[in-house]
Order: sequence, then C-alpha cells, then structure tokens
Amino acid sequence: MSAAEQIFGAGGKRTRPALVFLVSRATAEIIGFRELTKEHRRLAEIIEMIHTASLIHDDVLDESDMRRGKETVHQLYGTRVAVLAGDFMFAQSSWYLANLENLEVIKLISQVIKDFASGEIKQASSLFDCDVQLDEYLLKSYYKTASLIAASTKGAAIFSGVDSEISEQMYQYGKNFGLSFQVVDDILDFTQSAEDLGKPSASDLAKGNLTAPVIFALEKETKLRDIIESEFCESGSLEKAVDIIESCGGIDKARELAKSKAELALENLQCLPLSSFRFSLEEMVKNNLERIR
Amino acid sequence: MTAVACNNLEFGRTRFDFSACGCSSNASFDRFSVRNYAKGTVGNVNRSHKARKLFCFRPEIGPPRMFSTKTPEALLPGVTDTPPVLDLKKESRSPASLTNLFEGVAEDLLTLNKNLQSIVGAENPVLMSAAEQIFGAGGKRMRPALVFLVSRATKEIVGLKELTKEHRRLAEIIEMIHTASLIHDDVLDESDMRRGKETVHQLYGTRVAVLAGDFMFAQSSWYLANLENLEVIKLISQVIKDFASGEIKQASSLFDCDLQLEEYLIKCYYKTASLIAASTKGAAIFSRVDSYVSEQMYQYGKNFGLSFQVIDDILDFTQSAEQLGKPAGSDLAKGNLTAPVIFALEKEARLRDIIESEFCDTGSLDVAVGIVKSCGGIQRAQELAREKANLAVQNLQCLPPSSFRFALEELVKYNLERIK
Repeated sequence: MSAAEQIFGAGGKRTRPALVFLVSRATAEIIGFRELTKEHRRLAEIIEMIHTASLIHDDVLDESDMRRGKETVHQLYGTRVAVLAGDFMFAQSSWYLANLENLEVIKLISQVIKDFASGEIKQASSLFDCDVQLDEYLLKSYYKTASLIAASTKGAAIFSGVDSEISEQMYQYGKNFGLSFQVVDDILDFTQSAEDLGKPSASDLAKGNLTAPVIFALEKETKLRDIIESEFCESGSLEKAVDIIESCGGIDKARELAKSKAELALENLQCLPLSSFRFSLEEMVKNNLERIR
Repeated sequence: MTAVACNNLEFGRTRFDFSACGCSSNASFDRFSVRNYAKGTVGNVNRSHKARKLFCFRPEIGPPRMFSTKTPEALLPGVTDTPPVLDLKKESRSPASLTNLFEGVAEDLLTLNKNLQSIVGAENPVLMSAAEQIFGAGGKRMRPALVFLVSRATKEIVGLKELTKEHRRLAEIIEMIHTASLIHDDVLDESDMRRGKETVHQLYGTRVAVLAGDFMFAQSSWYLANLENLEVIKLISQVIKDFASGEIKQASSLFDCDLQLEEYLIKCYYKTASLIAASTKGAAIFSRVDSYVSEQMYQYGKNFGLSFQVIDDILDFTQSAEQLGKPAGSDLAKGNLTAPVIFALEKEARLRDIIESEFCDTGSLDVAVGIVKSCGGIQRAQELAREKANLAVQNLQCLPPSSFRFALEELVKYNLERIK
C-alpha cells in the first residue's frame, strides 16, 4: 500500500475519473437521472486503478526514476514490489469490473488492458526507428492513452442508459480528447523545462521514442535522421536534435495536430444537452490546449 | 517460491529441437527494430548478441514427452467405495505416464499449442521468443489437459457431442494465465532457472518479462470477456485476484515461524489450487451440467490442486537439483515455509532459531533440511497430500464412469506417486 500511495499521492490530477463523473452526469441529464449509480462510481475507481497500475509498470519498463517530481515506485521499493503492486491493481480492477456484471463494459475495458500491452510492445519495437509513420504514432497513442479514456467515457454513458448513438459519441469524445492530450504531452516533453515536467526534458527522444514533433521534423530535415539513428551517442547530439525539431516547425505542426483532435472532441459533445457538465467537458479540451499556448 | 509448474515430474531432460531461422511468425519485423528493442530493453552490451539468437530460436512445442521410470506402487489408501472401473489391484495396472493419461485429449492439446503460439506470436517476435522460452520449457499442459478431461467427462452427462469452442478457449485462457504468472513469479523471485532452463527475465531482462506477462494477462482477460459468460468471467477474475493476493501473502510471511497450516493452505489455494478449481468448474459450466456437478468439479480442482502443491513442496526437499530443474531446498532458503517445515516446527524448537537466523551461517540450510527430514515433517506432509487426493477422487463420484473420469482419477494418483 505504501507503494500505491507513492503514486496515488504523487500529484495525480484524477483526470480520468473526473471525465467519468462528468460524462456520467452530462449524460444522465438526457434521461433525467438525478444521482450517479454505484456502477458509475465503481467504473471511475476501476479506471483510476488501471491507469495507476499501468504507470507503475510503465516506470519499470522505462526504468524511470522520476514521475511527477517524485521518485518512482520501483526506484524506491525495487522492481519486485513495483511488479507486484501493478499486478495486484490490475487484478483488483479486473475483479471489480467482472462484478459490474455488464458484458458490454467488461469487453470494453478488457480491450483497453489488451491495448495497453500492445501499445507498450509497439513502442518498444520501434525505438529509434525513423521510418515510423504518423498513423502508427497515432495508433500507439491510442493504445497507450486514448483507449482507456474512450472506454471510460463510453462506459459512463452506458451506465447512464442512454442510447448507443450517444455512447458512441462519448467514445469518440474520449478518443479524440485522449489523442489531443497525448500529443500535447509529447510537445511539452520538448518545450518544458525539467522542473515543470517533473522529469528530465526531451526524455522521450533520448529513449528513442519518436513522437509527433519528431515525426514532422523528420519529414523536413534529413540530418535529424542521422542524429537519431546514432542514438545520441555523441554528447550534445540530443540538444542538437531538439533544436532542429523546434526550428523546422515540428513543434508547430504537432500543435496543429493536437488542435485538430481537440476540435473533433468538441464536435462529439454536440449531442449532449447544454449543462454545466457538458461545459466542463468542453473546457477540459480547451484547457489541455492551453498547456501549449 | 513454490513451483506452480510441475518441473518435478521430469525424470529426464526434455529435448528441444532448434530449427535454424524457421520463424513462422507472420509479424513483419526487421533485424534493426528487434535488435534495438532488445538493446533498449536490457541496456547491457553483452546481451545484444542474444537478440540475434532470437531469430533462430524456435523450440519445438509439442505434446509433452514425459515418461515415468517408476512402476506405480503406492495406491490410494483409504478409498474403498469406488466404482468397479477403478482397478485397485497392483498387478493389473499398467505403468502410468502423463502421455497415456492425456491420450484421450492429445489432439485437443495439439490444437491448443498451435492456437497459443499464434495468439502470442502474432503480436511481436520478441514476445513470442520470450513466451516460447517458457511455453517450450517442458511444460506439460496439465491445466489445459484438465479442462479438456473435465469437459469431456461432463459432457457425457448431458449428451453433448463435441467440445465447444468455449471449452477450447477456456483451456487457452487458463494456460495463458498460468504462463503469465510464471513469468512474473520469476521476476518477483529473481529466479534464474525454471525447469532446467534460464528464466525469461534472466535471458531477456526484467522489462521483457514484465511486458510478456502483462501482455498474456491482457490477452487472456480479453478472450475471457469475449466468452460472454458472466459466471466464468467472475470465476476467472477471482483467480487473477487470488494470484496477486497469494504473492503478497507469501512475500509478507517469509521466515515467519508462526505460520499456521491453515494460512499455508490458503496461500496454496491462492497460488495454485484457485486456478485449477476455476478451470475444472469452468469446463463443467460450458458443458451445461447442473450446478451440483460444477461445484463438485470445483472441489475436485481445488483438492487436486492442493495435493499437487503440497507434493511440489515436499519434492523441494527430497529431490536433487538436477531433477528439480532448480536448486533444492530453495523454498526454505528464501524463507518460504511450506508443509514439511510447518510440521517440523511443531516438533523441533531448534529449527525455529535456524530459520529465524535466515540461514546466515553457512551450512545452516543443510542442517535445517536435515531436521525437517528426520523429525517426520516430510511424512506428515505426505499424509496431507494423500488426504487432499482422497477428497479429490471422491469429488469425481458424480461423474458417469468413462475413460475421461478414469484419467482424472489416475491423474490424482499419478501425482501422489511422485512422492514415493
């Protein structure tokens, strides 16, 4: 439990559960629900457990020392505890999920857990691979981030009992918002200082994880390819790479990508009646974009 | 850690056939990305050569090649009211072997192997190699065999003609969960050897081991959900939760000499019997038999599983390192106190001091093992294993006599023979 507290208490914003609650309430309006059901609440807990478990394992997989400005679980307690804590949380969430007794949601969330694993594998097998295409990157971002969010928002709608067109729109909202969110995160890895990030800056690139800004930059600047393929063996080459990416507009194009996904997400909300909750869902999309201007 | 896999059953070395570069994986990959993945994974220059080995690493996965060097002598004492089909006369019993026992489901197991390979391998060749390391490492497919045997034994009751695809999928799920747990267990125990071979994480690094385990858990969860049977989904989700609980229980009671037998049995249940019980019950559910029979199948799986685990724990003391495929007395060395030790602690107070010293003195482990053996700890553990085995055989009474029911009974007895 100390291990879980390390990460539960480590400044997490609870974005995902918040989304579940907002969508639950926004969709409940449609059919006149007043209160959230216990399924709604349990769904939010499950989502946060899955998210947390994946972070703990991710840090083992990435051998990261820092997350959100604090030491990672496996840095503090060792790999064993990290693997065990992650496994335990995945197991608990699977069990709670099964006991929700809703086959549609069970299948939805099981798909997510499968996607997480696929995303990790995809990322791991394309490190430093300069031939990675934008749609592969988006697929990986979907697997690693958007899939969980989309399943949460759709699950919330399902438990509100709204019709399937609306739950589909909620799925798309979650997916588009999730993609936008991930692209913004990837931009910030370049533009923020280590202090703001809570971990070293440009760490994605350093590890060979090529994200949107890099992919766009590679289309323009061939010398970037050589530096990346050298895997930054020369000192100073990482900084050089970051400069190239910034100067040739890689960051700007990534920003446009984040915006286009955000716009799609806002459109997906149109089917909801106006309410403070729908407004909050829109604001979440916009606030996310604010992080990159 | 107590071995969940039955590596103790190997009386000889399992052979592997390596076919050079015969990768049948459909996943498109190139040396560049796999090499980089492995490098990124292990971060150790020495290991990068192993990545190149991955391309040519194709252990043959086939039906288990097991044989018994001992003629069965120990019969099940105390079981008197069994139906006539169960021949208790020594001389008329032919030497049992797992291959014989599983003959009736051999084809089912072949199909299973093929399906498992494509499920795991389709995603990524590195994962496939990691999975094959353990899929190919002498695993007997005992759990899927149980699913198939119970499926066939129970479908007789309702007159089902063939195994359903749910039955087959259940067996695959069970084996994936089992394999995933082994991979993670080895990371948790920092084990170097399993079944006489290096563990996944020893060969490929912790990262790949964690990833391979996660991937397999995830795949099995997804297939489970798509079986669309809420009862089975809840049953198996409970198991995954039990695995994690069992690991935690074990980890927090290392070297704890106040451990009671009850707690030990709960831990054995979580770590071993839970999965087996859920498999046998699940198989019965998919045969659509009534709930009394599925409950009996659950109990069979549970009692057999406990018997199995106790025997594994006994063998950790009585077998040599070569037979075990890993160092002997390793449970005790790690502070994992199993049945023989718990019984011995009731008799010999000085054993407690040695254990609590955590074997800091050289030779103290051997002294401890000596005490456990000499004061009857092993014998009492054997009785415990027999008692659970008896219960398991009784649980089979509700099944109509058939070659499959017979095989299920024989499996229980075959298991007992490992300890005499």
